[in-house]
Amino acid sequence: MSSRGRWVLIGLLLTPAVVLPLWVSLYDRAEPTLFGFPFFYWFQLLLIVVSVALTVPAFLLSQDADRRDRVAHGLPAEPSGEDRP
Amino acid sequence: MIDHVNGVVVGVFVFLFLLVTVLGFAAARWRRGEHLESLDEWGLGGRGFGTFIAWFLIGGDIYTAYTFIAVPATLYAGSVVGFFAVPYTIVVYPLIFLFLPRLWSVSHRHGYVTPADFVQGRYDSRALALAVALTGILATMPYIALQLVGMQVVLQVMGIGTGSDNWFMQDLPLFIAFVVLAAYTYSSGLRAPALIAFVKDTLIYVVILVAVFYIPHQIGGWGHVFSAASDSFSAANAQGAVPPKGTQPTGAEWAYASLALGSALALFMYPHSVTGVLSTRNRSVIRRNAALLPAYSFLLGLLALLGFVAIAAGVKVENPQQAVPQLFEDQFSPWFAGVAFAAIVIGALVPAAIMSIAAANLWTRNVYKAFVNRDATPAEEAKQSKVASLLVKFGALVFVLALSKEFAINLQLLGGVWILQTLPAIVVGLYTRWLHRWALFAGWAAGMAWGTWLAYGVASPTQAHFGGPLVNFPGTETKFYIALLAFGLNALVTVVLTVVLRALGVDEGEDQTTAQDYHADLGDAGVDAELAAESRVHA
Repeated sequence: MSSRGRWVLIGLLLTPAVVLPLWVSLYDRAEPTLFGFPFFYWFQLLLIVVSVALTVPAFLLSQDADRRDRVAHGLPAEPSGEDRP
Repeated sequence: MIDHVNGVVVGVFVFLFLLVTVLGFAAARWRRGEHLESLDEWGLGGRGFGTFIAWFLIGGDIYTAYTFIAVPATLYAGSVVGFFAVPYTIVVYPLIFLFLPRLWSVSHRHGYVTPADFVQGRYDSRALALAVALTGILATMPYIALQLVGMQVVLQVMGIGTGSDNWFMQDLPLFIAFVVLAAYTYSSGLRAPALIAFVKDTLIYVVILVAVFYIPHQIGGWGHVFSAASDSFSAANAQGAVPPKGTQPTGAEWAYASLALGSALALFMYPHSVTGVLSTRNRSVIRRNAALLPAYSFLLGLLALLGFVAIAAGVKVENPQQAVPQLFEDQFSPWFAGVAFAAIVIGALVPAAIMSIAAANLWTRNVYKAFVNRDATPAEEAKQSKVASLLVKFGALVFVLALSKEFAINLQLLGGVWILQTLPAIVVGLYTRWLHRWALFAGWAAGMAWGTWLAYGVASPTQAHFGGPLVNFPGTETKFYIALLAFGLNALVTVVLTVVLRALGVDEGEDQTTAQDYHADLGDAGVDAELAAESRVHA
């Protein structure tokens, strides 16, 4: 897959994490409740977990897309700096 | 009331406060680089923070003490629109993920310390860079003041300083806390908040986890909490509460969504967020954090609900901001209440330090160096920034002591409106140079003027102007966040004028950056682990 293809895929992965929280009428309701939480509240807390679940594969894809972009811009594929977490 | 002071609460609180004070000063020696007297060292902590430290530092930037006080306060007061903080802190991370690595790369390549440095390099416009810098300073000051308001609320609930009728004695504890903060920020720079952030977040996590599991359990579970809040709001509405209270934002969906989006877009235009991001050691640190930082959002969501918990637990306070501290004092044993109060106050010190450093960097780089002393050495820059950080903090202190709290809160709201107007120059500039520098300047001016005007016209029950963040979307009855409206005008002006100026062939200035700069990473030419001041591609 090309770098552009990867960025499109990353965009698709991240779109729900932006659109769903802003689509308020989707979750502005009390039922069904979960552990006593109205839907409005537990759904938004769930969205946090969903956004993390989407960001992780996006991160992995971006590592590869970055390498391709670096080569395309005349840089070595791997930066020589040590990457310690 | 002096008889409300509990010795154990105050003792634990003071002990933890002294602990972070020692840490703050010791931070000067922590991970110290070779070139001590430069902005890269003092203002960006040597640009060497990895994922772990950055998580605490950026977390301390986004989730401030004021968030921990104000968000539950809005829920306590029956205005659930305040819960927008949760979608806001979800939406912000994909944005960080996408554009901040590019800002990191270009900033490291060229030694940019502030967002205005980037604007200067990209657009070759001192006017535009100055506009971005002044907007940043202007928007940051009330943000620092709000951290003080958060501290003040906690001190009030603890009963410290409130027993005296003398204004000086009343404000003395706040004053002491701030002098200490100012002193170690001056000596240690960004390393101080980075190190203290560890303590802050450990304390906050412990306190919040205990609070959201223990307290609801004590008072009958979350189901009871929500029904108690709902009953209390219905009773208030039956007595004609204006605006009506509720546990859902029904009818205000657009207000809720626009506040979330506008705040998310604004957040990473704030100089202190940029400072946090630029202090990381490589590109991947930022993206990793975009996946790791939402852990705080979860905490924030649960914390916000403590506003309802306070209602269910029968907390009755005049000032809703005192609801959560009062809840802690009522429900926790004294020593744990002391821990909780220390967590909130330390939680105010960290962002206040980062914000003052960021504002000081803007002053030094984009006003002092750009207009006053163009040949300033790195050591002179660091000196200038240190002094500026003191002035910024004392400005914020005067703000809180001299003006009403409502005024501070409303200026913070204006800060969001203002800072968002720098987005086209910064974010769009990371991808394309198509927008013309003078069009960006005109768009910025239009957005600033209209946004301020709209905010001026908002009345609330307590004040005639600057009463809230929402106005009716033009031509409708739907409430909408002012910052996004002003941003819309800004974008429109910028695009239209760009077309006109390009057609007229007006000089667009020289771009210092190349396409490659936006992909550079640690180890590439010009991006050293410890930047020596002389080794930059451009100073």
